[in-house]
Amino acid sequence: MSDFRDSAVIITLVGLLCATITAFLGFFQAPLVDPDSWNAPGAYRILYWHVPFAWSSFLSFCLLFLGSVSWYVKRSERGWSMVVIGSELGLLFGLGVVISGPIWGSVEWGVPWDWGDVRLNTYALLSSVALFLVMSLRSQPDGEETRDTLAAVGLFGFILVPITAAATTLWRNRHPGVILRESEETGVDPEILQVMGFGAISFMVLFIGLVLLNYSIYNLRAELESLNREIDKEGAN
Amino acid sequence: MPISPLAQVKGIEVHRGPSKVLEGVSVNLGAGEVVSVMGNNGSGKTTLIEAFAGILPLRSGEVIWHERGESILVRDSDGRRNPPPPMGLTLQKGGISGEETVSERLAVSLSVAGIHSHEEQIADLLGQWGLRHRSEDRVAHLSGGLRRRLSILCGLAPAVLSETPRVVLLDEPSEGLDDSAKETLKGWIRALSSRNHGILVATHDKDLSSCADRILTIEDRILSESTGESSGDPSQLPEPVQSSEQRAISSLIRWSIRMELRNPIETVGRATPAIVAILLSYALMMDYDLQSHDSRLLAALVLAPAFIASISSPALVSRLSESDCGRWWDAVSGPMARPAFSISGASILLPIPVTYLSWLVLSGSVDDQVSSEVLTWLWIPALAMMDLAIASTALHLLVSDLSRSSAAPAPLLLVVMVWPFLELTDALSSIIDNGMTWGLSIHDPLVTCIVASLLSALVWLSAVLIPDY
Repeated sequence: MSDFRDSAVIITLVGLLCATITAFLGFFQAPLVDPDSWNAPGAYRILYWHVPFAWSSFLSFCLLFLGSVSWYVKRSERGWSMVVIGSELGLLFGLGVVISGPIWGSVEWGVPWDWGDVRLNTYALLSSVALFLVMSLRSQPDGEETRDTLAAVGLFGFILVPITAAATTLWRNRHPGVILRESEETGVDPEILQVMGFGAISFMVLFIGLVLLNYSIYNLRAELESLNREIDKEGAN
Repeated sequence: MPISPLAQVKGIEVHRGPSKVLEGVSVNLGAGEVVSVMGNNGSGKTTLIEAFAGILPLRSGEVIWHERGESILVRDSDGRRNPPPPMGLTLQKGGISGEETVSERLAVSLSVAGIHSHEEQIADLLGQWGLRHRSEDRVAHLSGGLRRRLSILCGLAPAVLSETPRVVLLDEPSEGLDDSAKETLKGWIRALSSRNHGILVATHDKDLSSCADRILTIEDRILSESTGESSGDPSQLPEPVQSSEQRAISSLIRWSIRMELRNPIETVGRATPAIVAILLSYALMMDYDLQSHDSRLLAALVLAPAFIASISSPALVSRLSESDCGRWWDAVSGPMARPAFSISGASILLPIPVTYLSWLVLSGSVDDQVSSEVLTWLWIPALAMMDLAIASTALHLLVSDLSRSSAAPAPLLLVVMVWPFLELTDALSSIIDNGMTWGLSIHDPLVTCIVASLLSALVWLSAVLIPDY
């Protein structure tokens, strides 16, 4: 178990290091985008973190969803651990998306937030579901009914978002355009793609490291709880 | 001769908190039987009672009730759930909201079981438990002992007045009772048994369990059984009356409306922030020509007060959390309790007057022709706001399932309601700019309002269906 924890720590540290390198490469190595196609060409560099944040948060929300389904269908302990880890990482990476997005949007679009932007709203909703789950996991006593309700919230968020997003997309089209698609149309510099790819791999490593680390913490908490219960029993006798 | 079962749990496994409380437990409750469940604190007595009532999720096994030769699956580990037949139920915490009056509570317990009682019958029943002089008092004004008597009476009465054998579930009924009330309880239990009703009593009171025919003892999740003394003389009970069809859901809706009429905390709690929002918008925007600048902003400001009123936490949630009142309704009404509460607890009436008031206050600079057109059609987005209110209430109810719901950040889930609100803003903005149009294009106000209603309906469906699966 200790080896598993050590590996988790090492993978997380490697992920963090690579994510930091991505930021350096994004700021100092990657070329500037075409100033005619962008309102704030320099600000685009935040996307080297924003996009991997979005991918990692999507993976986290998938973990949360799979965990919720697994808990609901099988009442599986592993499923519940996925709910806990998915919500914590979903909050972390989701906040990364909803913080870095408006910073870029405020200089590129002139507004930090657009309620008509489905992706922004989707992430805001999923991040608020994740925040709800994280806060509730800390404030509620652990038990079958609590887990049922929180897994229902996890399912609620995940089921609702694509449906709502699809419905809203059909009726609304205020977004200025998908950035990467626009870039592809105008031709993306291979160096930009390389840094973006490195960023994606870095955040993937960070994601895996954090999943393993959180899983190990989850198991330690469960072990501590069971030891506490044994002490409670001894005390009662 | 074997006793025909009224209710049974088969091989149930129930977890509470982090621990497994019952494992592989099977119990039959037969007609005319008094079964006592004993055990130390935390051994699982309450869990067994609540599992019988169908209000606990099961890890394995099933709960089956029998009514006129028919078997009804009340709950199983696959999430299937049906309302149980009429029953008597006294929960450990009573399950009564402090807002109710004593006689009203008894009448509700009976009407949920399909028994329509007269005032004299209610008065007679209350008299036998020393509560007649308190019949018009609110339950919140009763002492703990009197409140306990009332909750026991409400648990016994549906069987007392029923011609058909019923199940009565009593959780720690003697707790907080004086000796004379305890004697009355024992006499009534024996009398109910003689009328073929089945009674399951969770207690650690040896005196009370002496009236049981069978004693089940729970120790380390395992059930053992012994024969009881069946002691005690049956009391003289009121005559049963003819019962009609069970109407739990209509009783539940009437109950929640009556509670609000008695203490309109819901209306006041929602209307106050809405009116404050109107006045604030007026104070901030009075010198600004909203229509010529941005009709969307005007539309958002007009609809915002109704939106605030719609998403506020419903008073019903706190009423239901009082003394496990929500669990009692959940048990007697079954899986339809949540949808019914989400409708009866929502701010259905407020959005329309609040939206009109908001328009009248904020539309000062709008020209008369536009204003008259908007006033004619403003009810459409206001009506769609009702759906939004119902969906918000369903979300609040979902959060209230948590044992420490006051510590859970419910507003975070309400972020989703911004989307239907924005659709309604678009619809009103379109009415302000172009007048009401009846086209079916996606930007026409009617279609936009329908989309808002559909989005709200989706939220509502997810919030009421997923938790009870």
